[in-house]
Amino acid sequence: MASKYDLTPRIAPNLDRHLVFPLLEFLQERGLYPEEDILKAKIELLNHTNMVDYAMDIHKSLYHSDDVPQDMIDRRAEVVGRLKALEDGAAPLIGFLQNPNAVQELRADKQYNLQMLNDRYQIGPEQIDALYDYAKFQFECGNYSGAADYLYQYRALCTNSDKSLSALWGKLAAEVLMQNWDIALEELNRLKEIIDSKNFSSPLNQVQSRIWLMHWSLFIFFNHDNGRTQIIDLFNQDKYLNAIQTNAPHLLRYLATAFIVNKRRRPQFKEFIKVIQQEQYSHEDPITEFLACIYVNYDFDGAQKKMKECEEVILNDPFLGKRIEEGNFTTVPLRDEFLENARLFIFETYCRIHQRINMGVLADKLNLNYEEAERWIVNLIRTSKLEAKIDSNLGTIIMEPSYTNVYEQLIDHTKALSTRTYKIVHQLLENAPGQTAR
Amino acid sequence: MASRFWTQGDSDTEEEESDYDEQEDNVAVETTTATAASRYYSGNASDSDDSDGQKRVVRRVKDKRFDELSATVDQMKNAMKINDWVSLQESFEKINKQLGKVMRVTESDKPPNLYIKALVMLEDFLNQALANKEAKKKMSSSNAKALNSMKQKLKKNNKLYEDMINQCREKPELFEEKVEEQESEDDVESDTSEYPDNLESEESDDEEETGNDAETGSGWEKMLSKKDKMMDKQFKDPSQITWDTVNKKFKEIVAARGKKGTGKMELVEQLTFLTRVAKTPAQKLEILFSVVSAQFDVNPSLSGHMPINVWKQCVQNMLAILDILTQYSNIVVDDMVEPDENETQKGADFSGTIRIWGNLVAFLEKVDVEYFKSLQVIDPHTREYVERLKDEPLFLVLAQNVQEYLEKVGDTKGASKVALKRVELVYYKPQEVYDAMKKLAELDSGDAESGEEKVQEIRGPTAFVATPELVPRKPTFPENSRALIDILVSLIYKYGDERTKARAMLCDIYHHAIFDEFSTSRDLLLMSHLQDNVQHMDISTQILFNRAMSQLGLCAFRAGLVLEAHSCLSELYSAGRVKELLAQGVSQSRYHEKTPEQERLERRRQMPYHMHINLEFLEAVHLACAMLLEVPNMAANVHDAKRKVISKNFRRLLEMSERQTFTGPPENVRDHVMAATRALRHGDFDKAFTVIKSLDVWRLLRNKDSVLEMLKAKIKEEALRTYLFTYSSAYDSLSLDHLSKMFDLSDAETRSIVSKMMINEELHASWDQPTGCIVFHDVEHTRLQALAFHLTEKVTVLAETNERAMEARFGGGGMEGLPLRRKDGQDYAGAAASGGGGGRWQEFSFNQNRQGSSGGRGGYTISGRASAPGLASSGFSRDRQARLGRAYHTGSGARGGQSDGSARMVNLNRGVRT
Repeated sequence: MASKYDLTPRIAPNLDRHLVFPLLEFLQERGLYPEEDILKAKIELLNHTNMVDYAMDIHKSLYHSDDVPQDMIDRRAEVVGRLKALEDGAAPLIGFLQNPNAVQELRADKQYNLQMLNDRYQIGPEQIDALYDYAKFQFECGNYSGAADYLYQYRALCTNSDKSLSALWGKLAAEVLMQNWDIALEELNRLKEIIDSKNFSSPLNQVQSRIWLMHWSLFIFFNHDNGRTQIIDLFNQDKYLNAIQTNAPHLLRYLATAFIVNKRRRPQFKEFIKVIQQEQYSHEDPITEFLACIYVNYDFDGAQKKMKECEEVILNDPFLGKRIEEGNFTTVPLRDEFLENARLFIFETYCRIHQRINMGVLADKLNLNYEEAERWIVNLIRTSKLEAKIDSNLGTIIMEPSYTNVYEQLIDHTKALSTRTYKIVHQLLENAPGQTAR
Repeated sequence: MASRFWTQGDSDTEEEESDYDEQEDNVAVETTTATAASRYYSGNASDSDDSDGQKRVVRRVKDKRFDELSATVDQMKNAMKINDWVSLQESFEKINKQLGKVMRVTESDKPPNLYIKALVMLEDFLNQALANKEAKKKMSSSNAKALNSMKQKLKKNNKLYEDMINQCREKPELFEEKVEEQESEDDVESDTSEYPDNLESEESDDEEETGNDAETGSGWEKMLSKKDKMMDKQFKDPSQITWDTVNKKFKEIVAARGKKGTGKMELVEQLTFLTRVAKTPAQKLEILFSVVSAQFDVNPSLSGHMPINVWKQCVQNMLAILDILTQYSNIVVDDMVEPDENETQKGADFSGTIRIWGNLVAFLEKVDVEYFKSLQVIDPHTREYVERLKDEPLFLVLAQNVQEYLEKVGDTKGASKVALKRVELVYYKPQEVYDAMKKLAELDSGDAESGEEKVQEIRGPTAFVATPELVPRKPTFPENSRALIDILVSLIYKYGDERTKARAMLCDIYHHAIFDEFSTSRDLLLMSHLQDNVQHMDISTQILFNRAMSQLGLCAFRAGLVLEAHSCLSELYSAGRVKELLAQGVSQSRYHEKTPEQERLERRRQMPYHMHINLEFLEAVHLACAMLLEVPNMAANVHDAKRKVISKNFRRLLEMSERQTFTGPPENVRDHVMAATRALRHGDFDKAFTVIKSLDVWRLLRNKDSVLEMLKAKIKEEALRTYLFTYSSAYDSLSLDHLSKMFDLSDAETRSIVSKMMINEELHASWDQPTGCIVFHDVEHTRLQALAFHLTEKVTVLAETNERAMEARFGGGGMEGLPLRRKDGQDYAGAAASGGGGGRWQEFSFNQNRQGSSGGRGGYTISGRASAPGLASSGFSRDRQARLGRAYHTGSGARGGQSDGSARMVNLNRGVRT
């Protein structure tokens, strides 16, 4: 049941192998799937990387034995051998880069740098490419910090735009895995610019790149402090939203969550509701359904039910359900925030169409008890978010009808007209002599 | 047929007969020629029965003489048959005497054709008899004597008519054409065997032919008469036939093509004969290509269609071509280069590539066109039509084979074209029909094979280049049509050209719509941007587009998406030319007289009957949707009904029906919907539903019950809304229970509907939760206030007009943001879609810009649907929610431009009224 809404299988294909690890770790922790399956999945994953030692460890814990299959041992030897070879290939350049004095000679001009390296240190394009290969191999081995450094330096020197792009992807992955969210965010934005501006051979590739980018960005956005507004900025762009709608409707969950926890995004939110409506048929997700219940069907009972499901989903989602250890108990900050805001959503809409509400019913709808509900509402009234009064004798809330005066409306409608007309006349006068003079 | 002649002859020379078997067969045929001819001369149709016992009728002298003449010719023929030279000699003398009489009567110095022919025949027979030394020896002495004297007499006599005889020999048609033209159609046998050109008669003979391959085959064999006899002579000895002779003959025949006096059917026969004697596979292929194109020539006019048996033969020939091509993979078919003169000389063992001129795709398309035309022409209510429909698998198998071949050769472009042809045959079929076709194909191929064998038997012995049947003769169909379409369209999306892709996309949309996959087909439509480009496409594609749109509308309706259904269909009905737009019959217009030219063009575009979309059903759906949208809309805007019009068409009909002084019981679809509308406006949902339900077009629905259920729910909902709009001003509060009971809805449904109206500010009210009541607020504007609002609106428009005028004069000036499209501000659907927000159209124009910038024209690159599900191009822009529902006017010629600027956009807001 809980695994029904697990998105890992849909997200994983859009991630780098190494990025899937954190997801699997999370799943292991949550215990949604049998432990063995996850361990097997991990080995499967590692088979194509160079983290052979790690794979061996997992193998041991999976089968509870100290024997390791021969092919793993062989592979280990091969990996070590290849590492040596690559290291040798990249050695001259690495030697140069590790020499602080030499590095000082580098300037902002790439052409100059290349020329200089070639002339003085006999470091040509082959060595630079070797650095790229070496960095990639380091990454495959799980040495992310090394890979990130080398890739950074490679990008400073390389001239091949395709390779530079993949180096950037590699750098992003490495930073994400090292959890350097600030740097990762920078890399992400750089990558986004390239993807948006680059001429792809086919629109399909571009869409695919965008989808990857969005998937990778989930790591950053749900960990970075400012991520929740930025995810809206990114995902809600037309191009990205299109990509989501066509190819990855499951990402709507994250966008929806971000919208719910972000109160200041109203105008875009309305548009987003439309998107959700359109995509209802293609993807089922409690969080989007929750929004549909409130804003499309006005089904508050349904919304309330969905809220419970949403909580479940959030707890089981590797990105949303991030835990923070405080003392000896853990909290999931996003869950609390989500529930709070979801409640507010329900209440807000509910109040708009009611003039008198029974507190008991309301408390029920908000998943709160009576006192809590009363406190909550009083708070809202005090912060003047709600124009209402509580009739505690009857146990009801009475809304104050708020209708704009007809006259005010009329004034609103016409106010702009005079300025506009004035502007026209002004313009006309400005232009008229010019006309005649010509 | 020969038997009849045998019985007539008194067979005294039985042992000799065997020797003459072959010759006599020919003679027999010839005799018929003569009889047929004589019948012509006898002039009187009633007399021309086969029976020899003729009635006595008073005739003109001329006729009488002719009759005598032909009777003598008959006698001569009989005599020939039994090799009786004595009586032949007598007859010859008699005929000469008669000739004098005839000449006198006709007062011409030219002997009648009949006579000349008789001479030719005699001469031939004589030569044959002389050539056959052995037979001569066996002859009785009197007979031999007669033969000799005959020889001399004939020689002398023929000198007189030498010119004519030669002429006759060279161009027997000249002597025949006349006959043919006036030949009455009653005689079955002579017609089929002699005058295949005479198409009508052949078709009327269908009882005998019933499209059976075997029989036509034998018919064909018979047809190898006269001219082929010469060919037979030329090629009598298989060992003497060389590539050169065949090639020469081939060139000769091809050169005769299209010349006056060349029988088209004869050409086909001769060529068919040549295919049997062709020396190399390449040559056979070359000749087969000519056969096929000659067969296409058989159909003389653009509007008529190819005779069905010729069509079938043609398909068989195409299959034979494919056989050869598959067998000899070194033969390449190409229509780009002029191949070497002697290219076909290279034999079967030649290993290099051999180039043959030809274009399989073009041939296949032509075959398809002929099939389509025949369906257009045949009356759909006859058995013939059904029979014709059964030929579809035959074409499908051909298309399948051609496609496979082209794919193998690497001509993906051609393959995609062929794939499109297949798609176009399948796309409109619901699963049931598809299954039926599949079953038929399986059954049918059994029959076809046996027929095939017979044909093979007949041509078998003489064919030099035997081609085994390599390509399958049986179409293979995947389990469901979706799978088939998927395979084909993904091929087309990958390789096809622009038009092919567009058409395939439309077929795909149509097919999805039939299968009730509204969202998929809508996405396809929107992503491909077909709506924007379709008016630049050819008319037949536009028709396809209209068909797809209407099917999409029906699909939306079945899914309960009233608004979408309406926006799909409304454009079709806006001009009242549905028939024309869907090419399902010619609509007569009062105002525009069509020229015959236009009418002919239109007729040529018609869809065959079995592909029609039921117009009544379409109309019922359209009007029902319009009713559901328009009734509450009218109730909401009582004061200025003209402002927000959702369906002009519906409004007009309503006005018309209101103007009637007396409304009778509903008869047609319109009456029904109008009656329902009247009931609905009073909130009487039950009656409204009963009236709608009584329409018998609903039986066309597969899931009739559930759709009607949906319709009922919708009617209830709209009835509730209408009720609230109309009567809310009269109430201070209304209880939920009461409302639910009144409209037979559940509490939750009622609550949801009313809440929606509140949120959209359609209803100025709010819930009183503890008592479960709706409390109405008195915010209804007074008359004065309403007028004041009106005034402000007008003033705003004025200001905007000023600004626009300025802009037009001075250009720009910081007012770019102001929309220019206001003037045709028919943003009705938009207005309906988004209750309050009249800003829809603005959004639309932005959408267009957006779509322009994002990925440009993404075209139809929904490629790789099979391999990577759902990968779509970025050309897909956000305007998904906008613009669905534009049918294009296929306007016939001159009227095309006239269809005013009605390319308005219609919003398709997928959502509920927000």
